[in-house]
Amino acid sequence: MAIIEVKSVTKEYQKGFLALKDLTFSIEEGNFVCIVGPFGCGKSTLLELIAGIQSDYKGTIKIREKNPEEARLERRIGYTFQRPTLLPWRNVIQNIMLPLEIARVKDNQRAYNLLGMVGLSHLAKKAPYELSEGMQQLISIVRSLVLNPDILLLDEPFSSIDEINRTKMHLHLLKIHQQTNKTTLLVTHSLSEAVFLSEKIIIMTSNPGRTKRIIEVNLPTRNEEILFSEEFLNYLKIIREELKNEEK
Amino acid sequence: MKKNKIFLQIIIILAVLFLLWHLIVRIFNVLEYILPGPLVVLNSWIENRGVILPNAAITLWEASFGFLIANLVSVIIALFVCFRRELENTIIPIAIAVKTMPIIAIVPLLIIWLGPGLSSKIAAAALICFFPALVNILEGVKVLDRKMMWLFRVYAASKFQLITKMIFPSILPYLFAALKTSSSLAVVGALISEFIGSNKGLGFIIISNFYNMNIPLVFAAIITSNIIGISFYYLIHFLEKKITFGQERIIME
Repeated sequence: MAIIEVKSVTKEYQKGFLALKDLTFSIEEGNFVCIVGPFGCGKSTLLELIAGIQSDYKGTIKIREKNPEEARLERRIGYTFQRPTLLPWRNVIQNIMLPLEIARVKDNQRAYNLLGMVGLSHLAKKAPYELSEGMQQLISIVRSLVLNPDILLLDEPFSSIDEINRTKMHLHLLKIHQQTNKTTLLVTHSLSEAVFLSEKIIIMTSNPGRTKRIIEVNLPTRNEEILFSEEFLNYLKIIREELKNEEK
Repeated sequence: MKKNKIFLQIIIILAVLFLLWHLIVRIFNVLEYILPGPLVVLNSWIENRGVILPNAAITLWEASFGFLIANLVSVIIALFVCFRRELENTIIPIAIAVKTMPIIAIVPLLIIWLGPGLSSKIAAAALICFFPALVNILEGVKVLDRKMMWLFRVYAASKFQLITKMIFPSILPYLFAALKTSSSLAVVGALISEFIGSNKGLGFIIISNFYNMNIPLVFAAIITSNIIGISFYYLIHFLEKKITFGQERIIME
């Protein structure tokens, strides 16, 4: 059953700038889906619409039959921004507890359990500035899971991290996905990131943002070796061609 | 060790200054009503401490009350600006107008409106603190991280939670800058208003003894007000160190 349903969504900004046009797709429960597209194709805008941070669009977006605003108010959405948004005056575990405090859930153990699950318990008392940017993003992702949301939305979380560390973060993220089986929607402009992580890729084109093609990814395994396999490179080629054609 | 070194440095600099002052008075044989020597001033302070201390307490009270009002109002305005950015454009010109009104000209009016008692002095101290406090705190509001605000939106946080868990800790370094700049100004505000219309406070002691040509006591009162200003500043500095840690890394909980 589709957990996220996006139907004919169009978003126009005030000055007549069309950010998204007639976008339609759906995401099944438990899936890991990536949206790839060039810079400025409205990927982040789309994510903000689904998260209910931005409103005022045409079309319908449903998250478990609810509109984004309702889902947000019920705290059914986990969201991680492009840059780490850890509060610098709180340590790692206090940061993960933040959503619990806001929602007045008196179960701090959840934060510890989640951190343990991703094997990062040793970082609990560290201050954010003591961590690498990649680790900070990972902690932000853990934080966005602490209220056990229906969906996890990730807005280019690893875009400013070097290639080697990024792969490490990807493996962490896949582990989180395996353990929680949380429906995840990740936005990225990195084609290899999209292929490596997702089961389904939504290719978007720009001016205005539209869905170009949706492809299923079936990789036998997800580890560093697969990055150099023929299958992996084939997927990259397909997406690249799609985006290239659009540019012409 | 480092702290002791700084303390020692201050002591040495002060000792040198006082020695220089003493020597100038001695060598050039300066008349007491033009520039009394440090020992004469110290003597006058000890003799008149019964007058100086209670009046210093009054000045301190006026200054701190005015200081608190100015900063509290500034914080409240800044919080409004957080949620209505366009308010800033309206508030800043008003704040500049308040700032550019010469305090000397305002104090007589304050005395007419609020009476010659403490309230007109508190108002003067608050007025002189208001602009630097507001500008500093607004600066903090300007650099608030938009994505952090959105984070709280994703979690459907209440405005109160947003203020206490995010905005207030974020603007804390700016708030301390505001408190520091306005602390010494508050003392100046209180002193000026005491000059103009009062029969108590350090300002009154300074101006009345100036007319009586009791210059050593004038100096004793000036130095006392210096001490108030400096202690005020360092009290805030101490609090800041207690609450914040390292550079802008604030530990609240």
